[in-house]
Amino acid sequence: MSPQGFELTAPAISGTNDAAWMASRRTEATSRLAELSMPSEREEIWRYLDLDFEPSFDSAPSGAGSAAGADEMLESWEGTVVTVVDGFIATEGVDSVSIAPSPTDTVAGTDLFSTAYDALAPGAAFISGEMLSDPVFVDVQGTNGATTFPGVHVDVPAGTEASVVVRYRSTSDAESVVVPRLTAEVGDNARLALTVIQDWNYATRAMGRAVINLGRDSGLTLSEVGLGAKIGRLHLDVNFIGRGSWAKIYGAYFGEDDQTLDYRYFMNHIGTNTRSDMFLKGAVEDDALSVFTGMIRIETSGQKTESFQTNRNLILSRGAAAQSVPNLEILANDVKCGHGSSVGPLDQDQRYYLMSRGLTPESADRLQVRGFFEEVISHIPHKGLAPWMRERINTKYITAQEEGRV
Amino acid sequence: MNNALEVRNLTASIGDLQILRGVDIDVPFGEVHAVMGPNGSGKSTLCHALMGKSEYTVAGQASVDGVSIMQMTVDERARSGLFEAFQYPTEVPGVTLDDLTAAMAESNPDDGAYAEREGETTRLLSMQPFRSRFVNVGLSGGEKKRSEMYLLGVANPKMAILDEIDSGLDIDAVREVAEMVEAMSDDKIGILIITHYSRILKYMSVDKVHVMVGGRIVQSGGPEIADNLEAGGYTELQAANA
Repeated sequence: MSPQGFELTAPAISGTNDAAWMASRRTEATSRLAELSMPSEREEIWRYLDLDFEPSFDSAPSGAGSAAGADEMLESWEGTVVTVVDGFIATEGVDSVSIAPSPTDTVAGTDLFSTAYDALAPGAAFISGEMLSDPVFVDVQGTNGATTFPGVHVDVPAGTEASVVVRYRSTSDAESVVVPRLTAEVGDNARLALTVIQDWNYATRAMGRAVINLGRDSGLTLSEVGLGAKIGRLHLDVNFIGRGSWAKIYGAYFGEDDQTLDYRYFMNHIGTNTRSDMFLKGAVEDDALSVFTGMIRIETSGQKTESFQTNRNLILSRGAAAQSVPNLEILANDVKCGHGSSVGPLDQDQRYYLMSRGLTPESADRLQVRGFFEEVISHIPHKGLAPWMRERINTKYITAQEEGRV
Repeated sequence: MNNALEVRNLTASIGDLQILRGVDIDVPFGEVHAVMGPNGSGKSTLCHALMGKSEYTVAGQASVDGVSIMQMTVDERARSGLFEAFQYPTEVPGVTLDDLTAAMAESNPDDGAYAEREGETTRLLSMQPFRSRFVNVGLSGGEKKRSEMYLLGVANPKMAILDEIDSGLDIDAVREVAEMVEAMSDDKIGILIITHYSRILKYMSVDKVHVMVGGRIVQSGGPEIADNLEAGGYTELQAANA
């Protein structure tokens, strides 16, 4: 049921303050949008998703709804907080990339959602310069059922270190489509510690796109925790452009109910001597589905690259499923790569061992689930958020245990 | 007074394979017994059948301090006072020893003395550096045995079965394990050591030795039995019980 073409009847974004590059990108995307239809599940990159819904791009709001106050996580945050509501920057003094003198983000997506973002996003919050001298927490809120386009762009100047958290959440139960975009430029010899928390409500379809470019000898530590959304998709490209650049990527996701958590991670090794390590762990219960496709692509220029990926999945209910698909595309001849992937139930030997210590089967399984995720959570660079993550993940499992769903 | 462990005519099989063919053992409180036997005689099966591992079909009687454990689940047996130190302790990634002992205490709320025993056993076995490490992950053979003995101390069982507690250890580690077993032993616990070799018995005293061949106890007696086995091996006993 894909409608043909998404012609905007009344463009919601006036774009009067747009810089020239932004204005022309917007115009071009708006006309392309009229030609595009919903992506097809027959395409590998969209496979496994239920795309039988119609995003209402005409509903994109012309301004922010009212921002929710600080929750527990924000109250304990020591650093700067930037609030983005319904795609609009709600914190004074934070610029939008739409007025930046030159193009900031480098997403080359031509699919429906990327194009809609280019046409309709008010402009990503520009996290850069002075602001990065303290850790920054970007609180991205969705307040209602409108289709929104929240963006965050992080620019880490050469030789500096930055620490950024991006947390997505809904402040109502409304069913909505969000098209988040997260981009980052990490300059030569710079470091970025980035934690992404996906905590939309279970009625939200989030079609996320992220692109991170790494300069020479720069480093990225990225962790993502996927908790919410009806469809929680993240299509990530990390581009190892500068020689000697590296990334450590940790992921933890937990799906329940009819959630689909869809991760498409692409490590594009372009520079020589680059290194990537992906380590993701997920669990699914009820009728949830998780997808992890990790692509390691090493260009002919990417000699001496070392790239590894590991993805482990726990299936906690009979109706739940996980797809784990590691891919390698290697064009260089002097590289080291490895991948491991597993999908399975809780380990029976661990359960027996723990029960032999006097733990009830429920307690043994809870400990095993907690330990399973601990291997990821203990590596998350923002240590202060770890207790919250543990609590949220374990509560999902304990609640399901108590309700007899696992 | 009850025995710490009483086993009567215990049989166990996996599928069509009969492994235990009627085992009888009594271990009184305050005593340390050893079960010795060749590979494949059913020693480890005895441990797991008593602990309640689900792969085995088990019949016969077994009780801990006079309470029958045969209808109990694995965790109920543990909370009734039975402890098994594993030959190959399972790795539990992401779970520290402290996490595990906290969960043990939580699963057994009637026993309020876990924290106290953690402190005591930590001192006794110099366990401090291990408590924040993941359970059995990356530990050497000797460290794994030490970790099992620590859990024994924290669990405070009435009956402890130590499966191949000396296997894969160098001679110094065997002596250390023997010292730990002696330290754990008092009149409130019965201990059964499962072993292939008699060498651990050089470093500790046992009250009784049982020889297991072909799924049965074929000989029981004082520690001198171990010396005879040392000299003659199991071949003669195996032939006699074939």
